[in-house]
Amino acid sequence: MIRGILLSCVFLILILSSTSCADFVEPNQLAFVIGGAIDHAEDGSIEVSYQIVIPSQLSSKGGSSGDSDSFVVMSAKGKDVFEASEKIQIKMSRRLLTSHRVTMAISEEYFNKNDVSKLFDKLSRDPANNLRDIVLLIKGGSAKEFLMLKHPMERLSSIAAGKELQINGLRKFTSRQLIVDYLSEGIRSLVPVLQVKNFKTSRKNTNPIAVLSGIAVLNKKLKVKGLLNEDEGSGAIWMSGKGTFKGVTIPWKNGKGILSFRLTHLQRRINSYSRNDSKRIVLTVKAQAYLLDNTTPLDTTDVDNKIEIQKYVNEQIQKELQLTMDKVQQWGPDVFGIGEHLHRKYPYWWKSQKDDWDEKFKNIEVTVKADILLRSTGATGAPLK
Amino acid sequence: MKVSSYQLFWLISISSMIVFSYLPIQLAAKESRQDAWISILLGCMIMMAITWIMLRVCMQNKDKTLVGFMKNLLGTVLGKIIVTVYFLLWFLQISSIARGTVEFQNLVMLHNTPMIVILLCFLFLVAYSVYRGGITAISRCAEIIGPFFVFILYGQLFLNPQDMDMKRILPIYADTGWIPILKGTLYSFNYMVDPSVILMLFFFAENKRTASRAILWGTAVAMIWGVLATLVVLFVTGPGMAAELVVPVYTLTKIVSILNFIQNIDALFIPLWLLGGFIKLSVYLFILSYGLSEWTGFKNWKLIACLTTFILLANVIYSTHNLRIGFTYTSLFQIGFFYPFVYIAIPLILWMIGSIRQRRKASNIN
Repeated sequence: MIRGILLSCVFLILILSSTSCADFVEPNQLAFVIGGAIDHAEDGSIEVSYQIVIPSQLSSKGGSSGDSDSFVVMSAKGKDVFEASEKIQIKMSRRLLTSHRVTMAISEEYFNKNDVSKLFDKLSRDPANNLRDIVLLIKGGSAKEFLMLKHPMERLSSIAAGKELQINGLRKFTSRQLIVDYLSEGIRSLVPVLQVKNFKTSRKNTNPIAVLSGIAVLNKKLKVKGLLNEDEGSGAIWMSGKGTFKGVTIPWKNGKGILSFRLTHLQRRINSYSRNDSKRIVLTVKAQAYLLDNTTPLDTTDVDNKIEIQKYVNEQIQKELQLTMDKVQQWGPDVFGIGEHLHRKYPYWWKSQKDDWDEKFKNIEVTVKADILLRSTGATGAPLK
Repeated sequence: MKVSSYQLFWLISISSMIVFSYLPIQLAAKESRQDAWISILLGCMIMMAITWIMLRVCMQNKDKTLVGFMKNLLGTVLGKIIVTVYFLLWFLQISSIARGTVEFQNLVMLHNTPMIVILLCFLFLVAYSVYRGGITAISRCAEIIGPFFVFILYGQLFLNPQDMDMKRILPIYADTGWIPILKGTLYSFNYMVDPSVILMLFFFAENKRTASRAILWGTAVAMIWGVLATLVVLFVTGPGMAAELVVPVYTLTKIVSILNFIQNIDALFIPLWLLGGFIKLSVYLFILSYGLSEWTGFKNWKLIACLTTFILLANVIYSTHNLRIGFTYTSLFQIGFFYPFVYIAIPLILWMIGSIRQRRKASNIN
């Protein structure tokens, strides 16, 4: 009897302590951070802002979200991310939970005036980060402003940005990817650029919305060397092997109408040829094309026309991508990973070349080739007239 | 107390995989970068060879434990002195695993719970299972936990297909060369498995012939997992990041994102690692206390197990305060003398003496 009581006492204590009820934060005591923002602050410190959802506002049926926001943006300055986060935490009634963060927005000013790689340590050392969040560069305004924006379709601007990238096939821009690229010697990073623009979304109101407006080319020290616009950007992403699909529109010969394609299965292959001590690079891009808009008089059921279209698309894309390639090469950063390819193929040659690779990359001869397969010409033959 | 071969297989594979997921990958990647997998592979081959040698020794002395046959082969005094080195090894292993587990729990989940509470709960469970059932209870637990543990850990390696880039391990060999690769092996292989456990466990095996096969398979399963895990870590994070990941397998689970829907699954793995740590610690505590009871001649090994637990508790608490004792894994003494001595030198000597004796006995009979 006494033995039984004693045992049950021990187990009761064990159950209470080993399920760690004492050190558990209930979901209603948590503040879910969905978006983060990093801004430059004067005197060398850093301004961290968190976009935090207000769960009670989320449950009320969308529609009339006119007055009440479903999120709150809190920010604080500090010497590093942790200090700033702690200062935010002091203002909060709930524990910050950063494991579910979707995006991390960094302002252009911060990129230019600070060393972004210093943020990486916090991202990988503290288990409260997930390394799956997308890193964005906010052009123009501050990143904090971006978090405060309302989005006409989504409740939170950072979720909207994440979905926008996801749905447009830009899936490889997570913080993990950025760190991995930063740590390898032969590849530089690309970061999607968001810009706040005003859109007239209905007759009454004009909304500022952050939209994808190109891609930033970073150098070894993660400084912005140049910005590519949407078209050049998607080409650069394709050539760096990070693309999944994209659309392309090409005017037909002699201005006789326009052809538009959806390109899927984007791939790229790098071949290199040794010539004495210098290397010549052939970068082949591959894709499968679906013709979806045709205002030319071409009858696409005719096999000769199909061959003609495929040949022409290849020529045009090759020309376009070569221009982008030349532009990036002038800036220097090797965002295509050509250095990494050479590193893997000629490891001993690479040892003498890896220092100051960005400068050397400028003088490498890179030829872009397109190998696009016309998979389908759509559901009609000749244009309907 | 008897252990079946099937149970032995799970015991060995769990207790090997739990350390493999913790220390060696980073130790190897730090030295040999993208060739860490070669370092690990070499280390695995060395460890398999050592396991084989130890099994030879065990087969020669089927009816005794380590303490018994050491006395038999080397003489009472020398045998007793050398066995203490193994006791020290097991004790150090238990404290480093216990400390690692508790520290990890504190870092990841229980930020405010005092470390001593977690440690007490954990060690109580370990001591209780050893006290009540000895190796029988532990091996039954292993039989249940094993399949889950091994299959889930194997499965976890294939959850990051979209993040893998096989080319990250290129160029092979050229960047590092043999010296860093071998250095990576040297630093890491001591922490992959602990083959010395079988010197004690083999005595309890029911069928010695199938048991030796089970032990070899158990080790091989853990080794293959280790090589695959190293490769996956390199594929996902690249050499630069892998060299800095202290708990690489945990970081892998954090990156998992299946169809943007199944994320943050690390909470699922943490209890699993706790179960694995429990098996590992109980096995060690059992062999340590059983060995000590044989060594001292004091029959009640259960009491020794309880006393050992208290000493262990004190040691873990002390080593968390004294960082140098707790976190030296690659000191010259350990790498250059201690581990080669217990893993390679002594088993080889025992094997040689055993073989000579057997031959002499055979010739005497003739």
